[in-house]
Amino acid sequence: MLTRDELERYDRQILIKGIGEEGQEKLKQAKVFIAGAGGLGSVTTTYLTAAGVGVIRVVDHDRVELSNLNRQVLHWNEDIGKKKVDSATEKLKRLNPRVKVEAIEEMITEVNISQLVAGFDLIVDAMDNLPARYLLNKVAIERNIPFFHGAVHGFEGRAMTIIPGETACLRCVYRGAIVEGKFPVIGVTPGVIGCIQATEVIKYIVGIGQLLTNRLLIYDGLNMKFTEFRLKRDPNCEHCGNLRGKENSER
Amino acid sequence: MSVKINIHPFFSHLTNDQAVVEVNGSTVGQCLEQLVAQFPEVRNWLFEKDGKVNRLVDIYVNGESAYPDELAKPVKDGDELHTVVIIAGG
Repeated sequence: MLTRDELERYDRQILIKGIGEEGQEKLKQAKVFIAGAGGLGSVTTTYLTAAGVGVIRVVDHDRVELSNLNRQVLHWNEDIGKKKVDSATEKLKRLNPRVKVEAIEEMITEVNISQLVAGFDLIVDAMDNLPARYLLNKVAIERNIPFFHGAVHGFEGRAMTIIPGETACLRCVYRGAIVEGKFPVIGVTPGVIGCIQATEVIKYIVGIGQLLTNRLLIYDGLNMKFTEFRLKRDPNCEHCGNLRGKENSER
Repeated sequence: MSVKINIHPFFSHLTNDQAVVEVNGSTVGQCLEQLVAQFPEVRNWLFEKDGKVNRLVDIYVNGESAYPDELAKPVKDGDELHTVVIIAGG
């Protein structure tokens, strides 16, 4: 049941056809796991907090550095040296105290990932490396949790949404593994991609619109182009190949 | 068979900064080999040592993933290929 304060806070989005008070209630009940409090994590956590998602668990093991501040907009100059999860939680709670923000300072590993995502309805990929993304994709498939992928490099960004057993997963698309240390990026790129991920999360929770499933969206900021590529589940995929489901379905 | 290949920005410096290169071929493999014939340094981006497509690169034909057996996929006049390199930043 939405309170009077919530009805006022979310008034403009409750007006959206397909959201309404019922959709807002769904957002309030949702528990979203966000892996990473960097560039993508700053944006996804901010907009999902503003939208009124019930519980957000954000996991990151880094501390804020000066070189983060061109893109990780949840962390400010005064936060340098702080744990990113603490810096993020402080801002998010001030943005919307009605949202329960859980901060966990840990590196996501094969050992702890299952426990970290337990009880959560959705997983958002806001990581900065492929091995961690593959871990997230795998646990999402194993636990049948929708997974919202995003990645950035320079002026380029990508996003796709994965419904386990139904649509192509990250491993169906990406098979290689690159070790990427310091990557180039302009802050607006995670801004764009993080907003797309948050949009997908909201749509999924409320149950409206068409998800970015079986499609890889590539954003080219330099030429200001969005290109969409059609994907299919790989029957030999090492993560989802053994799952039966409504292959290539879209919602 | 004239086919356009969109070059990912990661290696467009190897095609004289051309974002699109036009080649001739009736399969994806022939098109990529034509590209390499014009710009030999591109080979290291496109192919593994065993001749398979580089695992860091996805090939799309008219917007659709060409995986698996990308190199054998037929193409026709006017088709468009995209070479897309994995990115991982966040």
